[in-house]
Amino acid sequence: MHSLVVESLNTGVLLIDSDYNLVYFNHFMRSHPALKRPDVLGKNIFEVFPELPKSWMTRKLQGVFMLDSPAFSSWEQRQFLFKMQHTRPITTNSEFMAQNISMLPIKSETGNSEVDHVCITVEDATDVYFYQEKLKLTLAELERSNRTDGLTQIANRRYWEERFNTAFLSAVRYQEELSLILFDLDKFKQINDTYGHQAGDKVLIESAALIQSMLRQHDVFGRYGGEEFAILLPNTQLQGAYELAERIRIAFANQVVNYKTDSIQATLSIGVVSYHSGIRNYDDMLTRADMALYQSKRCGRNKTTIYQAG
Amino acid sequence: MIEITITEEQRDCLQELINVAMGRASDKLARYLQTFVHLQVPHIELVSSAELPQTFAETYGDDNVTLLSQGFYGQDGISGETLLIYRADHTKNIAKILGYAPDEVSEMEQLTDISSILTTTFLNGLAEQIENQIAYSAPRVISSRETSIERHLQDLSFNWELALKVAISYQVTDYEFNCDMLLLIPGVAIENIQQVLNQILEEY
Amino acid sequence: MSLSVLICDDSALARKQVKKSLPDNWDVEVRVASNGLEAINMMREQIANVLFLDLTMPELDGISVLELLKLKRLAEYVIVISADIQPEMQKRVTELGALAFIQKPVNPEKLSNILKEYGLL
Repeated sequence: MHSLVVESLNTGVLLIDSDYNLVYFNHFMRSHPALKRPDVLGKNIFEVFPELPKSWMTRKLQGVFMLDSPAFSSWEQRQFLFKMQHTRPITTNSEFMAQNISMLPIKSETGNSEVDHVCITVEDATDVYFYQEKLKLTLAELERSNRTDGLTQIANRRYWEERFNTAFLSAVRYQEELSLILFDLDKFKQINDTYGHQAGDKVLIESAALIQSMLRQHDVFGRYGGEEFAILLPNTQLQGAYELAERIRIAFANQVVNYKTDSIQATLSIGVVSYHSGIRNYDDMLTRADMALYQSKRCGRNKTTIYQAG
Repeated sequence: MIEITITEEQRDCLQELINVAMGRASDKLARYLQTFVHLQVPHIELVSSAELPQTFAETYGDDNVTLLSQGFYGQDGISGETLLIYRADHTKNIAKILGYAPDEVSEMEQLTDISSILTTTFLNGLAEQIENQIAYSAPRVISSRETSIERHLQDLSFNWELALKVAISYQVTDYEFNCDMLLLIPGVAIENIQQVLNQILEEY
Repeated sequence: MSLSVLICDDSALARKQVKKSLPDNWDVEVRVASNGLEAINMMREQIANVLFLDLTMPELDGISVLELLKLKRLAEYVIVISADIQPEMQKRVTELGALAFIQKPVNPEKLSNILKEYGLL
């Protein structure tokens, strides 16, 4: 009766002796191609299943025999030990069965003080594996969308401020260079009024793409408000930041955005500031960039201004 | 609130059982790992679920720690969880202690493997003495450097109020390795273990 | 020879276990101590000549007790009863003059065999 139960379990069961020879396997395991051969009983499991990680598993099995205690392997660390098909090839995309494995000490006769066999159970965890992988992807996507501006696909304000805060603290602590470029599209309201909001959106999208292409990997480009943008430049001195701002300003002024039959051109007003010991916190630094930006606006727009103390 | 108290006699009895279990475990571990394993005298107390996150914060708050859990259940309603806590700077030698080839296994797998060995050898030693048989769930990584233990525990609402906590620390001096083990027996399982202790006390 | 026995263990349960494991026909007086310091004081007053000694104890542990007994030549018969059974520990206590090493929890048969072996029973 017992053996019938083990035979019909929805879990793989194998039994090996102290020489790691296969003594028994149940029906569930028959789907393993290696067990279709008639002469596998009595053979060493590492010969029968060449896919098993031999040295690691030998050490684990040694532990089961010596310590009289179980050992485990989880799909989270090793997707599988026995390379088998699983039962859901249609509705999951996993190639092999993800497995939770237990290796249990067995004393074949009561009164035996030594462990003489190990029972290996193989649970199909493909479902868990599949949904966990899906969850991971979903979470990653959620995190990405949580920090991205929907229109321009660059960092949104919340995420940009988070990054700026971290970079600011790091600049203070390690006395690193840190610069900030803040800019605003000139007369954006006019563009919207003249060509329509969809045209305005297209200007924003193309502008963001153009500027993004001019930045380094570590620079953080974010949409700060409606037509206001900010670039965080770690390890960058004031001069470098100013030169970059000028390149952006010129490239932007030369850019033509085509919308339906219209060709739209626009300019930027830019403020640049670099971290120095007089700046107390990151709001302070942003305000200074803002002041420089408005100086550019006051001076007739399409201009870059460096914040000057005093 | 359930009123559970542990008498001095029961505490003494449990402490002795644990000492013996630790002795057996360290002997087995010494043979398997081929190194001397030092275990300190355990600390036994009752903790409430409300204060558990705070306890963790105080003990491990500033450290880079990884926490693993392994559940166990035996006969007579003896069940609980063991928590293994590793400080980051003590994890680098685990592969060597376990006798794995370098880069053969990931750090998380090394941690689950050693946790399982420490938990099961110790609890088997306890089970033998109270003529019980214990089965184990697979060890799981609960929190690592990214999520603190305190945060993890705060997110949970426990269905027990009190747990019997046994704190044990392991040292493998040859490899500069140490870790803490907390054995937690929650809720009604405390009463079940008290019954076992009373039986032993009656015998003597 | 008239014998008296001292059982030294910090655990009340362990003391009771040892006491109960002593052979029924063994006519001895039994005293107990709950830590190493107490045991040393009692041995100094020559209260006992057979000592059953635990190793892991607060105040003064078993190893220190053995060292002191050896130094003061107070020991007649010391039998260590310990949970720590790693081979290194067994070697150490034998070197310090213990007659025998018994694993906890104590097995009565093994205990009486040891007593017989040393002519104490």
